[in-house]
Amino acid sequence: MYQFNYVKAKSLKEAGRLLASHGEAKLVAGGMTLIPTLKQRLARPSHLVDITQLAELQGIKLKAGRLEIGAATRHHQVAASAVVRKAIPALAQLASVIGDPQVRNRGTLGGSVANNDPAADYPAAVLGLGATIVTTQREIAADDFFQGMFATALKDGEIVVRVVFPVAKRAAYAKFAHPASGYAMTGVFVAQTGDGVRVAVTGAAPGVFRWKQAEAALARNPKAAALEGVALDASGFNSDIHADAAYRANLVRVMAKRAVAKLGRR
Amino acid sequence: MAHTAHHHFPAPKMRLEDTRLITGSGKYAADWDLIGQLHGYFLRADRAHAEIVAIDAGAALKHPGVVGIFTGEDAVRAGYVNAPHALNFPGKNGMKTRAPKRPALAHGRIRFVGEAVALVVAESVHAAQDAAELIEVQYRDLPAVVSPEAALAPGAPQLHDDVPGNMPLETEVGNAAAVEQAIAGAAHVTRLKMEVTRVAPSPMEPRACTVVHDANADSYTLHVCSQGYTTLRAQLSAYTGVPRDKLNFEVRDVGGGFGQRTLAYPEYCALMIAARATARPVRWVSTRSEGFMTDSHGRANIISGELALDKAGKILAMRLDWVNDMGSYLGPGAMGHIRNTSSCMTGVYRIPALYANYRVALTNTTPVAAYRGAGRPDISYVVERLVSQVAAELKVDAAELRRRNFIPTDAFPYTTATGSVYENADLPGLLDQALKLADWKGFAARRKKSEQAGKLRGIGISTVIENTGAGNAPKDDIQIDLDARGEVTVHTVSKAQGHSHETTFAAIVAAALQIPIERVHVRQCMPDMQHVLTGNHTGGSRSTVGAGSVCHLAALKVIEQGKPLAALELGVEPSQVEYAKGAFRTRESRRAVKLADLAKGKTFTVAAEGKFGSTQPNGCHIVEVEVDPDTGATDIVSYCAVDDCGVVINHAVVAGQLHGGVVQGVGQVLGEQVVYDRASGQMLTASFMDYCMPRAGIVRGIRGEEHPTPSKVSPLGVKGMGESGCTASLPAATNAVIDALRPLGIDRLDMPLTPATVWHAIQSAKEKAQ
Repeated sequence: MYQFNYVKAKSLKEAGRLLASHGEAKLVAGGMTLIPTLKQRLARPSHLVDITQLAELQGIKLKAGRLEIGAATRHHQVAASAVVRKAIPALAQLASVIGDPQVRNRGTLGGSVANNDPAADYPAAVLGLGATIVTTQREIAADDFFQGMFATALKDGEIVVRVVFPVAKRAAYAKFAHPASGYAMTGVFVAQTGDGVRVAVTGAAPGVFRWKQAEAALARNPKAAALEGVALDASGFNSDIHADAAYRANLVRVMAKRAVAKLGRR
Repeated sequence: MAHTAHHHFPAPKMRLEDTRLITGSGKYAADWDLIGQLHGYFLRADRAHAEIVAIDAGAALKHPGVVGIFTGEDAVRAGYVNAPHALNFPGKNGMKTRAPKRPALAHGRIRFVGEAVALVVAESVHAAQDAAELIEVQYRDLPAVVSPEAALAPGAPQLHDDVPGNMPLETEVGNAAAVEQAIAGAAHVTRLKMEVTRVAPSPMEPRACTVVHDANADSYTLHVCSQGYTTLRAQLSAYTGVPRDKLNFEVRDVGGGFGQRTLAYPEYCALMIAARATARPVRWVSTRSEGFMTDSHGRANIISGELALDKAGKILAMRLDWVNDMGSYLGPGAMGHIRNTSSCMTGVYRIPALYANYRVALTNTTPVAAYRGAGRPDISYVVERLVSQVAAELKVDAAELRRRNFIPTDAFPYTTATGSVYENADLPGLLDQALKLADWKGFAARRKKSEQAGKLRGIGISTVIENTGAGNAPKDDIQIDLDARGEVTVHTVSKAQGHSHETTFAAIVAAALQIPIERVHVRQCMPDMQHVLTGNHTGGSRSTVGAGSVCHLAALKVIEQGKPLAALELGVEPSQVEYAKGAFRTRESRRAVKLADLAKGKTFTVAAEGKFGSTQPNGCHIVEVEVDPDTGATDIVSYCAVDDCGVVINHAVVAGQLHGGVVQGVGQVLGEQVVYDRASGQMLTASFMDYCMPRAGIVRGIRGEEHPTPSKVSPLGVKGMGESGCTASLPAATNAVIDALRPLGIDRLDMPLTPATVWHAIQSAKEKAQ
């Protein structure tokens, strides 16, 4: 770790001010990605601005058919929340399989979404449910928010405040965990809403994406069998020592089928 | 069982060390915090193979807080270059081992990613790390070779000028002509090439060492994680030329060893140089990433095997061709890869003709040393995979083929074709018990059930035996001190790294003295004993057989030496004195002399010694798996283990050792592996994000039973057992996965059997079938 200044922000405004006045300042919430990065000296922020305990970033609320979750909400809180389990059980289930107990008790929704790790679980739910990311500056639709590996629509100094999830009719998440890291080797979130079906895939490609051909097939027939033979472009898929692109492409289909099968069981 | 009838080993509910360890009162190597200590940070090679053209430490030396910077020049000047090794085998055709020098800090050339190039010593670890980043090393890159087979091929990049062909040793065992003849006349020959992959043992406690130099005595004290000071001291002395009596160690609790913590690492030698030069304690704590790159690796063997049988399915001969990857330098810990694989080569079978050829290879990778089993899991993997393979080819039940070839119970003691002597075992009885426990006969029905659920079910078996114990020390010493309160202190050289010595050894002494176990206190590797007691470090499954047996002898000696003193006190002849439950009495008198009374004036001390040879624990493990054909993922659905560890002192401790070994073996089969990039030599698995360390849940609900045949090697009847879990699980788990896939036409697949590997094998098999 290099030396840095630690500041615990008292308000979102103050956090924004600190980011604006120190070019090399970084936000920290759960720190589940940032702290290991610092320990390996792969980042050199001048300031760490801690926003974990800001009141504005807390809370889980169901409002007019929309589930609002504060950005600093920890994964475990989402997994254990009676409100989430009732409104969107698939979201609680997804939160319950992120990382390990230590990660789930430190890591936050906002942190995961803002970091947009290509193998993180939350982006699949946010995109799959067509959620809205509310920031200190505006509201961003999930479809516009995620922009590839570790890239988002967030501008410098913009802070995620909460994520607003429309309550789907049915939703399910199927994940094949990476055997070493516990991240998603491939995870597929399927949601059936009033407008149709959304299928979001994480882990397989450099960033979370919607499998639109599968959405069309499932809109016609919301059964796992409908995914047989549906086109899937795996040309840009990740390939590494653990799994090549062909294997990940297989997992996308298998996990999508399993998610759809779970839908049917509710 | 007459052998053990008089032993009643007390088994406390919790291990005697548990309260200390689970309440955070353990003291590990990094817990030492010495007044005036400096902090060391190693600058490490960022590439696999290169000449060091120049090192410019000028800016780093000026960095605030820096006290000294040391490089290969300092190591060479100190003469710290003779890294010890133990490949003391006669080579083929008179060849002698060519051991390369290894300066404690790289000199002139680096040969693997992570090799220490400089040691920066500063007032804080951050200052040292900051300064290390200011050191400019000018390298001239050389081509790297990370595969042992490629390293032995003509034209490969050469690592050491004095090791031509990257082959420090070629050696052989057995009878080549007899094997050749048997194979030529055999009804059936099975051939299989196998790899026992390179793994990173990764104990929970990272490596750490703080060195203090005492200028007055010109001696060194190392606060370090170690499996026992005798081995470490001998190796360090060989490496540095510092006499053994000038080397002292502070070793309290050790968080895992697995063979990796026996070694005199070059970092320790470099810290000695720094501590002497700065006249202050110098402390270094490894990071996990450093651990992956510089703690010794395990296994890393490639084996081509041939097994020849007659028409009746009797094994006639086995021939093995080994390539042993030792990494970039020879270390002192990898002799087991040859010694143990040849001494246990016949496995549990009566094989008349055996031959093995070994080619040791040096590669641009982390040096390899013993890892839990040290070759025993490797050879059992090879033999047991060959046997299961041939059973499938001959369409004979895998258990039946084993039974047909077992060394018969009445043939013990049995001398193998490579010259080992196995003391005893009851292999048919062991097998029967395991088959029953695992419901071997019911497998077909279970397979059908899995099939209906879309899963491929497989069953795998291993029947294994291993030579354990012995050790290089001339003897094992134990000292027992008895104090005036009647408390009994037992001093050992043997050092637990999670093995429960404090409970097991206390139970042995308490049983012999017939006193409560709570009154017996086991002290391991204490500094004031280090130049008094000698013996073996803990490793090779030897501690209970060796040190444990001497604990028993020492306790008996307390009684024997106490009797004349008690007789004086009681005013009778020693022959009239009897001992029971902590007191000496005569039959006639009601007066008693308690153990505590012997120590009234001063501590009553008894020393005992002994040397105990090898014992052969054996076992039969049966594993069932379900493979998901859609993802290639393997689930261990049943794990049954029947083991013969001889007499068991503490059943929970033995079960714990077995479980740990089983999980380590299964972990290696299903995912663990160190992977290097072939072109650059960079390690691709240098963190737990990429290195598949098995989680506890990988094997659930191991069902274990004991099938003891007591050993006469030890007065306790015990056999070594710290490694047998690994030895049996590597082949059993692999055989189970192969069995699941065999109906698809897959029978050549090697570890790690990751989901992706298995899925691809299934796809290829499907394509072939079409």
